[in-house]
Amino acid sequence: MDKLIKDLQSKIVEVLNLIDVQPDDIKADERLVGGNLGIDSIDVLEMVIMIEKDYGVKIDNRELGVKVFATLRTLAEYIHEKSPELLN
Amino acid sequence: MTKVRVYISGMGIITSLGNGVSNTRDAIQNSRAGIGPLTLFPTAANQPLPVGEAGDLIIKDDLPRTHQLARRAAGQAMADSREAPDAVVMGVTTGGMLTTETLLKEKARDPKLFCLHATGSVAEDIARQYHCTGPALTVSTACSSGAVALKIALEMLRSGNVKRVLAGGADSLCRLTYYGFNSLQLVDPDGARPLDQNRRGMSVGEGAAMLLLVANEPDHAVAEVLGAGLSCDAFHPATPHPMGKGALAAMQSALADAGISAPDVDYINLHGTGTLDNDISEARAIGTLFSGKKPLLSSIKGACGHSLAAAGAIEAVVAAISISNSVVPANVGCHHPDPDLNLDPVLQPSQRPIKTVLSNSFGFGGNNAAIVLGACGQPGPDRTPADTRPMAILGSACVTGAGRTGRTMIAVAEGEACAGMLDLQEISANLSAGQVRRLKRFPRLALSLAIAAHENAGTDDTPAAVFLGTGWGALSETSSFLNRLFETDEQFPSPIDFVGSVHNAAAGHIAMHFQATGANITMTGGDYSFEQSLMAAGLVSGNICDGFLVIGADESHPELSRLFDRSVAKAACPADGGGALYLKKETRSSGRTIRSLFFESSTNNPRVISSLVQQLEQQQPLNDRYGVILAGLPAACRREGEIQLQTLLAITGFNQPVIDYRKLTGEFASASAVAAVMAENFLEGGQIPEALCDNKPGQLGAKGALVIGTGDFITAMEVMPQ
Repeated sequence: MDKLIKDLQSKIVEVLNLIDVQPDDIKADERLVGGNLGIDSIDVLEMVIMIEKDYGVKIDNRELGVKVFATLRTLAEYIHEKSPELLN
Repeated sequence: MTKVRVYISGMGIITSLGNGVSNTRDAIQNSRAGIGPLTLFPTAANQPLPVGEAGDLIIKDDLPRTHQLARRAAGQAMADSREAPDAVVMGVTTGGMLTTETLLKEKARDPKLFCLHATGSVAEDIARQYHCTGPALTVSTACSSGAVALKIALEMLRSGNVKRVLAGGADSLCRLTYYGFNSLQLVDPDGARPLDQNRRGMSVGEGAAMLLLVANEPDHAVAEVLGAGLSCDAFHPATPHPMGKGALAAMQSALADAGISAPDVDYINLHGTGTLDNDISEARAIGTLFSGKKPLLSSIKGACGHSLAAAGAIEAVVAAISISNSVVPANVGCHHPDPDLNLDPVLQPSQRPIKTVLSNSFGFGGNNAAIVLGACGQPGPDRTPADTRPMAILGSACVTGAGRTGRTMIAVAEGEACAGMLDLQEISANLSAGQVRRLKRFPRLALSLAIAAHENAGTDDTPAAVFLGTGWGALSETSSFLNRLFETDEQFPSPIDFVGSVHNAAAGHIAMHFQATGANITMTGGDYSFEQSLMAAGLVSGNICDGFLVIGADESHPELSRLFDRSVAKAACPADGGGALYLKKETRSSGRTIRSLFFESSTNNPRVISSLVQQLEQQQPLNDRYGVILAGLPAACRREGEIQLQTLLAITGFNQPVIDYRKLTGEFASASAVAAVMAENFLEGGQIPEALCDNKPGQLGAKGALVIGTGDFITAMEVMPQ
């Protein structure tokens, strides 16, 4: 799980082009969207695509998105639970 | 001044509901829907989503689909008309994109193949079809484009300078919008169900609608265009203001412009896309505007899908059908109205007299337009006459390969070329990290220019409205979106790139930066885009008391610029940049002023230069009025441009400096915006740099500067001293 969190930290910084943010700045249990990182609804959708592409996990409706993207940890847990790649 | 009233004397429409006004009327009366799985292009790995696809089209094989749709609608609108329109104004966002996508996928590299890619090529094609030699203007404000085009046409007619304008919108389906909206999770996999409690999004559609608008009532008018209003949310690039603040402002402005009040509205044709956010935002705005009983209301997008730039024009035609046939369209797709919306949509089409319709169109960038149509033969609305005060220049800024304004002007003063591409870091120097995170080159250029022009004005006021001209818009975002789409077998398109690829995204960012909640118009007319945005500003800024920005900008893209822009293909080096002016309408101006003077096509118009001279010399001979001409000769039509310029000089005997400004700026579509800023700087200093006038001092005295455009169109703007 820690490795997945670490991977996600780097990927999020890269995919969202978070200038001035270091991967470690994205804390596992802090609010991911609408907080200090400046991540908004369009960024969430960009992350949805990244997660589908890299982990084969779909998050295709808003209600689910709100739960999954609550924090980095909830996101990692969801991927861990659903990812065919991580299961192998 | 007489109050000009504007009527619809002819109209045409094509959507997934059918071709022509009578087929559309039948579809409405029978509540038919035209939405079905996409067949237009193969979808690699996914089930095709429901869309609103127009039926059989083929007019001419090599004509892009948007052009074909536009020709169908224009043919119907012009069927009973022998006279050429004085102007064509169209809302277009995808243009030749469907064809371009296929070419790019096949790695085609011949610029000739892309000659109808430009959004502006649609209006130009229609103008040629109907022998219109006046302006052919293109509005690209996403999903409000068609309605904004009608507003501009309305103001052109009200100004008294034109009598007949062919206006509307057209967009074909293409991969960019089909996959783009889906990547934003804005597409309902079961087809759009606007206002339904189970709605999950829109259905992307396609189509065209054109309206022949005329000043003063013709014999067989369909309806009257009573008014139109524009606004910007200045809130978010893709999500509407949750309380519908911008939607409300546009509707209020439209009603005021029409000289009517809310209870006069019989029917509202909603924007009603079927997305969660649009429908709640629009519903809240309507709840605020109509505090008592609400008018009848429905969205037709569950029937024909959302045809983007065409939607506003399509719905204006539907509003006119509603008035002329006493029919109220049903809100097709809605079975269980969402109680949270507190609206009571029309669920079955009904026959009843409709005198006044309010039609809403809202787009990305929080770009809002509302128009009001009325039955003919009603008493005249009580409107204030058009504001013809000059536009005073309070601030200016430019960017070229040489640098920002100061560095560019130093290079110009030395007579040195400033063509090139300024480093992205330098362009972004006056932007914050948070602002630029999702912006590539074009939106950074535009935003940076806007901020610099406002800063140069040295005022605490902020602009209320934004007018942006760009030949090609956000090429980097578009390229990035399509590349990833193709590379991932159409599976993983980028939502960020899609939102950024929209032509008016940059103007939306400018609005957010300044909280500019007034009109927000992006014009995309190739080499004449800045001229078009200045013209739009002159027409629409009538009721704006505060300052407003008029900007022209283009980015050079390593792959796409030379494919799309014929002049770039001939250029010695890549170049880009732009210019921005902070303007204000002032009665007694203490500063310099700018205005648009002339805009005509040079195709099939042998008298264009005489017509230009006549217009320019109305007040004074050219030599008395102007101390310099800045002439734009795009490389693609340099020979033709030289002849046009020499003819102008020969007829007028103009014997003062003429600056061939593209030799300084390099080749990019909005180079004329830099020329306008140069003119402003020359006037400020009272002279033209010696290096630019054969090393003789070029004193301007009380004279102004004329900025001329040549090539496919002849344009003129003047910058005058105080």
